[in-house]
Amino acid sequence: MVLDLTMSMAILALMGALATIAGCLEDLESDVGSQSNPNSQVQLAPQMGFLHRIYNKAISGEPISNGLSAVIAGTVTSVLLNEKYYAVTAIVIGAFVGAIILAIYATTSYAGRVASQTRFKQPLYMDIMRYTTPTIMAHNFIMNFCLVALAYIQYEVLGYPFTIPFLALIWGISAGAIGSSVGDVHYGGEREFQNREFGCGLNTALSGRIVRKAESGLRNSIDNVWFCAKFGGPATGIALGLTVFFSSWPTTIWGYTWTAMGVGVIVVAVLTILNRLLEIQVKNAYGPYKEEKNEKEAKA
Amino acid sequence: MVAIDPNLLYVLLIAISGTLICAAVHFIPVGGAPAAMAQATGIGTGTVELAAGSGLVGLITASYMYAYEPLASMALVMAAGAMGSMVMLASTMFAGSLVYAYGVAVPFASAQVKKDPITGQRQDTYISKGTQGQGIPTICFVSGVVGAGLGGAGGGLIYFSLMQIYTPLIAASAAAVAGVFTMGVFYVNSVIPSYGVGGTIEGVHDPKFRRVIGKDVFTSFAISLLCGIVAVFIAQGMMV
Repeated sequence: MVLDLTMSMAILALMGALATIAGCLEDLESDVGSQSNPNSQVQLAPQMGFLHRIYNKAISGEPISNGLSAVIAGTVTSVLLNEKYYAVTAIVIGAFVGAIILAIYATTSYAGRVASQTRFKQPLYMDIMRYTTPTIMAHNFIMNFCLVALAYIQYEVLGYPFTIPFLALIWGISAGAIGSSVGDVHYGGEREFQNREFGCGLNTALSGRIVRKAESGLRNSIDNVWFCAKFGGPATGIALGLTVFFSSWPTTIWGYTWTAMGVGVIVVAVLTILNRLLEIQVKNAYGPYKEEKNEKEAKA
Repeated sequence: MVAIDPNLLYVLLIAISGTLICAAVHFIPVGGAPAAMAQATGIGTGTVELAAGSGLVGLITASYMYAYEPLASMALVMAAGAMGSMVMLASTMFAGSLVYAYGVAVPFASAQVKKDPITGQRQDTYISKGTQGQGIPTICFVSGVVGAGLGGAGGGLIYFSLMQIYTPLIAASAAAVAGVFTMGVFYVNSVIPSYGVGGTIEGVHDPKFRRVIGKDVFTSFAISLLCGIVAVFIAQGMMV
């Protein structure tokens, strides 16, 4: 479908917004269920004698399990669209089915993983399973909805050559890869070790010694997602939103030409410079670790 | 001069692009699980996840370029793939840096070099005790962007080659078959370097890079050649 420039930009903005929400919710879903790399600490904790009340659903690598729920949602949506359902109804039902399948995997994964830790006396808390699983589903439902809606726009409105399930799979995998790279650092690097001094750097000797007490009572995964929703989730959303927006923006404005490719490279160069500025600011703000130590020794 | 059979040419192109993807993975700074706890330099996820994630965004941009400019040159389709991948990885690394900077509060430092080869800034003093560096310093960022560009270009080349093979046979669903096959070749060539780098690599400046890239690239060429042959063979079944 050929659109004028204003309409193309409107569609692109909508896609960017959908991707931002999807990215944010993807990361929060992985935090509330504790998946991907930071989950290694949750897994290790009982072996170090730190029993906890944190959900433990490492179904597979985050991009793959996320791609799985997105592609199921996309497939169901495609089938319903062929049956002449309204697009929104089809996407909602598709997203719900994807979330149910993920919840089944999450439940079996949690039960299985905790069962394998019997010798470390890690209990399987049924109340945690009862109220965390629907929370995982809720996060996953919104993510599926946004990604399938994105795939629907790309396929039906913009005429991408790939079908809705395949586009949903690709965006699901990419959202998972971004969530695993960005938001999970906030969960693994900060929230799991929040009792250490902020910015102290995490010694590998601390592995498995995760925080188990909450602001009130014992910490669970809902407490974790409350914290990560303040920074890790939105940062992931921004990354996926930027990806969707800037990978299409140059060709929307400059067409399918070398100029558009050049603009894409300029966008990347700007991000590189921003990263360098951030690096300078952070190094000036926090300073080196080792020189500080030498200075203290000199003063003594 | 002997004319090369077009199918043989496409098999070779697929082998070359697979090799390009394999080489690209070595450029991307992945720190695996330790990086997710800010205990190693690089992006806090696995090689396969990240290379495939960025490469697939490149596949979307390359396929759209091919669909809307059927006469687009091979170089333009490759450039579209490279652009998509580079944007994805640059956005991810920048957002990751924001979390390292303000969420975890650690200065970026490489554990493999004393000074950043691009900025010349000291690295070793910024490494916190008991870790292998943290965050994404400039050299890692640039190396990652270059790697994503190579990977995306490789993905675009595979898609272009496969479309040339399949379009005359199954015009309607050629894009779907080519897309799925490209994704498969991507995963194959993202897994091969994982064995070589052993889960973590900082990028082009890491001594591991020089140590393993030769073997990995050779392995990847052989496997991708096989993938190319399979791609041509399955096309025989479409001639009904």
